[in-house]
Amino acid sequence: MYQIISIIAFLITLTGITLHYIAFPAGMEHLRDPVKKLVYFFTLLLIEQKLSFTGVLRKLVYLLTLLCFVVLAITGFYPTLVLDKHISGYLLMIHATFAPILAICLAILAVMWASHCRFTYSDWPWFQCLVQRVTLAKNAEEEPLIKSRRFGEKITFWLIIVLALPLILSIILSMFTLFGTYWQEFLLTIHRWTALVFAVVAIIHTYTLLRTKID
Amino acid sequence: MLVSGLFVAAAETEQKFLGDESDGSRATPIHLIPLYAENEDGEKGEKIQPDAEFPMPFSTRHTCIDCHNYDLVKKGWHFNAVDANVPPGRSGQPWIYFDSKLCIQIPLSYRNWPGTFRPEQIGLTEFKFTKIFGRHMPGGGPGEIEAEDIDDIGRQLVSGKLEINCLSCHNANDGQDMGSQIGYSVQVARENFRWAATAACEFASVTGSADQLPATYDPFMPDPGVKDAPTVTYRKEAFNENNEVLFEIVREVPNERCYYCHSDLYIDNEDAEKWSSDEDVHLKAGLTCVDCHRNGIDHNIIRGYAEEANISQNPIAAMSTCEGCHLPEGEDESRTGRHGAPIPTHPGIPTVHFDRLTCSACHSGPWPGDKTILTKTSRAHKLGTPNVNKAPDGLPHVISPIFAKQEGIIAEYLGRDLLLEDRKIAPHKLIWPAYWGILEGDRVEPIEISIVENVIGGVFADLELSATGDWPQISKEQIVEAIRVINTAIGTKAVYISGGKFYSLDDSGAIKEQENHPAAQPYLWPIAHNVRPAAQSLGVRYCTDCHATDAPFFFGDVTIDSPIVAERDSVKKMVEFLNVRPFYMKAFAFSFVFRPWMKIIALGSCAVLAMVLLLYALRALSCVAKVLAGNNQ
Repeated sequence: MYQIISIIAFLITLTGITLHYIAFPAGMEHLRDPVKKLVYFFTLLLIEQKLSFTGVLRKLVYLLTLLCFVVLAITGFYPTLVLDKHISGYLLMIHATFAPILAICLAILAVMWASHCRFTYSDWPWFQCLVQRVTLAKNAEEEPLIKSRRFGEKITFWLIIVLALPLILSIILSMFTLFGTYWQEFLLTIHRWTALVFAVVAIIHTYTLLRTKID
Repeated sequence: MLVSGLFVAAAETEQKFLGDESDGSRATPIHLIPLYAENEDGEKGEKIQPDAEFPMPFSTRHTCIDCHNYDLVKKGWHFNAVDANVPPGRSGQPWIYFDSKLCIQIPLSYRNWPGTFRPEQIGLTEFKFTKIFGRHMPGGGPGEIEAEDIDDIGRQLVSGKLEINCLSCHNANDGQDMGSQIGYSVQVARENFRWAATAACEFASVTGSADQLPATYDPFMPDPGVKDAPTVTYRKEAFNENNEVLFEIVREVPNERCYYCHSDLYIDNEDAEKWSSDEDVHLKAGLTCVDCHRNGIDHNIIRGYAEEANISQNPIAAMSTCEGCHLPEGEDESRTGRHGAPIPTHPGIPTVHFDRLTCSACHSGPWPGDKTILTKTSRAHKLGTPNVNKAPDGLPHVISPIFAKQEGIIAEYLGRDLLLEDRKIAPHKLIWPAYWGILEGDRVEPIEISIVENVIGGVFADLELSATGDWPQISKEQIVEAIRVINTAIGTKAVYISGGKFYSLDDSGAIKEQENHPAAQPYLWPIAHNVRPAAQSLGVRYCTDCHATDAPFFFGDVTIDSPIVAERDSVKKMVEFLNVRPFYMKAFAFSFVFRPWMKIIALGSCAVLAMVLLLYALRALSCVAKVLAGNNQ
């Protein structure tokens, strides 16, 4: 069941992203050659010279997070979805090696990106309208509402931070002599399902981030 | 007619007699009964008169058969090894034939356990097998097989058959004598098969030795002039006026009766004694062996391993395993906790362990040390019998504990062996077979002991035998010489197997050693007892009980046992018996060095994430509060 649902979830996510990309093409009209487009995508991974020290650090941590995520996703989902087995052997060792690095990176990113990903009025103008209607308040300067294009990026960022907690805690707590067999299985189930949602959200976040950069 | 005859015979076998069906009373039935001897035709003979001039030994078959279906009883696990139709199930303890002078130690079984040899492969007929190993058998099985060997036929006429000795298990009297100088084991060794059960009971004694008598001796016409003729003396006070005897028969066999054949001595130090080691935790909790190892009148006793229910006719086999009592499973939850069994919580144990390990892996046998230890068992080392070799290094060399995947055959169906599924890791005892054989293709057929004795006896004539019963010290040159002699005498390609190695001669006559040959593999059988308390189970302290880089569970040394001096100090690592890559297990164990750090890092990261979430949640709440308060600035 987990295997089927996971495969469906990944297919829907990737299909959705593809459809979105087709429906709302990125601002790369000047790049018609697909190779050039690909090269352009890769240049986004490079560290820009204009970045400050914290900017460089932020990007490096992000790239490391991305790497850890890819490794963990492959080692975690490959045996479950492809081999229909529990993770074990070298894959488990690689998984357990990269997991704490991801945890540290997520913590650093949370600190560094949280302010950047705060929700503002422009992220949800409909909510501002609603509040104004309820409270009868007026904007001091009656500024026109400008819809932000980073809402998706922000919401997925906060979802990642929220999901990281049960994802990490479920597996770490199972390593303590606190929970018996029933709860061990329960924690493992939480880890599996949270990992699935986390992976889907992380993919969407990466896509929205790229779109923000490109657009 | 033949078919209908078979049906009638089968129905008679299945028929339950007066004492075979309980009326529900748990009270012990009184067994005040007359005794009957067997006559020369093998039928029910005369009633035993204790004051007769030459009283015969009583026959358990003909004494008990008035109330109990003997033919049904003999289908039980303790008696049915010779029945090829009985699925062998999980590999069990073999009988071990050893001869230090011939450098032989070979596991035998009538059951088709992979790695054992059938006794006839080394030239042991059922009669000879019974004489050697019947000391620790409750009779029946090979002891009741009609002799076919020309020598054995004559001997069996004198000795009689070794009937099932009901008293060896069910006699609660302290006088039941299995192992004294005149007890059951000695009577069997003297070929007094017909007299063995009588000699063992508390109200009779037997003198004489059937093996000293000529094959022409007629035990039904005793001649007082014949020296060493087996003679029974009954204690007359045991008989009432009707010549009946009151037996202290119990349905539930006392532990001490089981212990006669099922004792272990782990020689973990020079002064290893039974008083210095603990018994099974279940016995200390007040249970008896037969609380779990149960059977009905068919004596189809439960062995107790998880897969047994697939092949056992015993209806409660499934609920008489560790899981059956201790773990709530499926719809039978109400049955868990039988006998007050605690339900374990296994805190902190990843569930994958339950898929890959038997319960006994963590809970049974001796705690694994850096190196395996020599182990003695009743059946292998004649424990509890007179003149037993008490030296720690006496042969045969049984080694334990070894953690390995279980072997066995659950069933044989249409000529195909259905192997044990989900072979879990369990603690095992191990023996390294050592024997002389003939290479037939890739297969090695052991050479009969008598032939080996005749052929290479001369080569090893001057061999200095160990006073403790250990291996003699032999060299590879002596092995070469012995193989050469066998090759010449038999005219085939002879080999020697020992310590996991296969020795043969190449074309130039030089010795050729081969490891990992299928014929040289050790034979292992699982340890089920003694079960240790939960507080002494593996993993109770930390994962590193097993997952440390030097944990004996994976990296303990398994002694390689061989009479060849050059091989004496060899060891194998435990991990080699688990079919896993040693490097992987080492790397995996090494990861546990960093496990505490990983926990700290992960928990620290979670704390930071939680604080960031809390901080921004409070800020969001502050915004909402401001808006709701009408303060929009």
